[in-house]
Amino acid sequence: MNNENTLLSIQNISKHFNDSKAVDGLSLDIYENEFFALLGSSGSGKTTLLRMLAGLETPTEGQILLDDKDMVPVHASKRPVNLMFQSYALFPHMSVEQNIAYGLEMERMERSLIDKKVQEMLEIIQLEKMAKRRPDQLSGGQRQRVALARALVKKPRLLLLDEPLGALDKKLRSEMQLELKRLQHEVGITFVIVTHDQEEALVMADRIAIMRDGNLLQCGTPQEIYEHPKDRFAADFIGEMNFLPGVVQGDSIIASSKRKISVMSTNGFEDGESVVAAIRPERMSLFLENAENSIEGKVHTSAYHGMDILLHVSTEFGEKPISVRVPIHSVGDKPFKAGDSVTLYWYEKDTRVFANK
Amino acid sequence: MNFKNKMSSVLIAPAFLWLIALMVVPCVMILVLGFFQRGIYGGIEYNFTLENFQLVFDSLYAGIFLSSARIAGTATIIAVFIGYFAAYAIATSPKKWQPTLLFFAVLPFWSNYLIRTYAWIVLLNREGLLVGFSKWLGIDGGIPSILYTESAVILGLVYNYLPFVILSCYAPLARMNPDFREASTDLGASNFTTFRRITLPLSVPGIAAGAVFVFVLSIGNFITPALLGGGRFQMIGNVIYAQFLTANDWPLGAALSMVLIGIMMILLMIQASAAQRSIGQKNKEQLDG
Repeated sequence: MNNENTLLSIQNISKHFNDSKAVDGLSLDIYENEFFALLGSSGSGKTTLLRMLAGLETPTEGQILLDDKDMVPVHASKRPVNLMFQSYALFPHMSVEQNIAYGLEMERMERSLIDKKVQEMLEIIQLEKMAKRRPDQLSGGQRQRVALARALVKKPRLLLLDEPLGALDKKLRSEMQLELKRLQHEVGITFVIVTHDQEEALVMADRIAIMRDGNLLQCGTPQEIYEHPKDRFAADFIGEMNFLPGVVQGDSIIASSKRKISVMSTNGFEDGESVVAAIRPERMSLFLENAENSIEGKVHTSAYHGMDILLHVSTEFGEKPISVRVPIHSVGDKPFKAGDSVTLYWYEKDTRVFANK
Repeated sequence: MNFKNKMSSVLIAPAFLWLIALMVVPCVMILVLGFFQRGIYGGIEYNFTLENFQLVFDSLYAGIFLSSARIAGTATIIAVFIGYFAAYAIATSPKKWQPTLLFFAVLPFWSNYLIRTYAWIVLLNREGLLVGFSKWLGIDGGIPSILYTESAVILGLVYNYLPFVILSCYAPLARMNPDFREASTDLGASNFTTFRRITLPLSVPGIAAGAVFVFVLSIGNFITPALLGGGRFQMIGNVIYAQFLTANDWPLGAALSMVLIGIMMILLMIQASAAQRSIGQKNKEQLDG
């Protein structure tokens, strides 16, 4: 985040389709020059929210303030907001440059100026040589860039991107993640991206909002969301998490096997309440000095991931094995076998506590 | 050739043979007559000549070709105009109603062509519903009947071939990615501009297919001009009919037919190649999209 001037203020917005509530009383502020990610599974209302920002859906109630002006009564074609469609929606009968010029022609801009801006945009997306091609003569990645250029060339106050990388293969996707971030920085436009891919959100966004059932579950920087998830759902949704069930006693948690798990804070839960202790797989280790917590177990499965090994370890904490990521340099070439005895260590500072539900 | 190819040749063979034996061969047999002389008392003298074709391009027959093309062209324009907007209305109506609306659009096809055409005579004649209605509205003596005029023929052609246009225009409109229209709106276009610059150009293949259909079927039609035109003026179909059945000049009839078929083939080929190009484009989009 460069600064914290509020650009967009979504106030108590709802969208009901017949009797289902796609978005239900959601409020959210988005700052200027921010790369903001709306993260959620399908049906969480994230795409409906995006379409309301673009003006393609009318909210049932609530306000959308852009630069302090309510956008709800403003027609989609008149909003300083552009949307990059998941399908890209490039016009198949127009060339790359005609597609990019389309939005400027709608502004009745002078031809010479349009040509100049289109040329600039083609340079930014590095497709100068493809200007005369039609969308069907482009690769997926090139089309994605043209769709982006077509929306960006209008210099919107807000650029909305609906699953922009969904149609690309994995390698291209991680390239484009960085490319998008670079571009956002270069053009200085606020980006709001919708995605169901938590890794994508973590890599690209300045701030993330997790959506669930038409409302916000949690909003914060990637680090806040990853390290301090609000509840068990958020913890599970972003990254991987081990959950060890137990009961609060003093400032510790007692598992059903009577083993004590020490934590920094019980997160406001009181004695006798049923909770889970949550630890990320990469925060556990086979070798850790001064760790407050440890547990013995047997290797259930071992999966080689190149940079690390993902072990599933069966322990006394319930039927689900505990996941632990072992960095490759710490184990050398020694393979793990199912049944090997291991001890897992972790710090109390890395242990979060959530309601067990 | 692999099994799949063999299989498809076996399957296509009966239809192909049928077409050759019962369509191509008889047609060729008739059409080659165009290169021979007419006998003095009818019949055919098998002496090669190009006279018949000279006659076809003679001002009399060329004029009939042109007026037939004009009538067919007018019918085509009107049918495309009405049919496109009907298709647009169907394609933009709620999804669950579309099959029903399409069914109604093609309903006239289920009745006999002659009956449909006679029905227009009942509607249009001097004692007909249209004139009667205008009298009821208080127009003195009613509007003049248009039966047995060029307008009646055009009306009949439009009416009969409209369903083809509706069906061929509906397909691209219904298939069109709705994101295109939304993207156009998002980029600042009004609804009319979106229609003019996005929807209409993308439905051109359907419009072209429908237009060629109407034109080709209209220019060769002889029933509608005979019934609704009352035999007062002729389209090329009527002339060919007369050459074969009344004037007994088969060579000239064959030559006229050949030129007519040539015109139709050229139009169909242009349309087919245009359609091929846009299909290629669509397939590619679907593969990557």
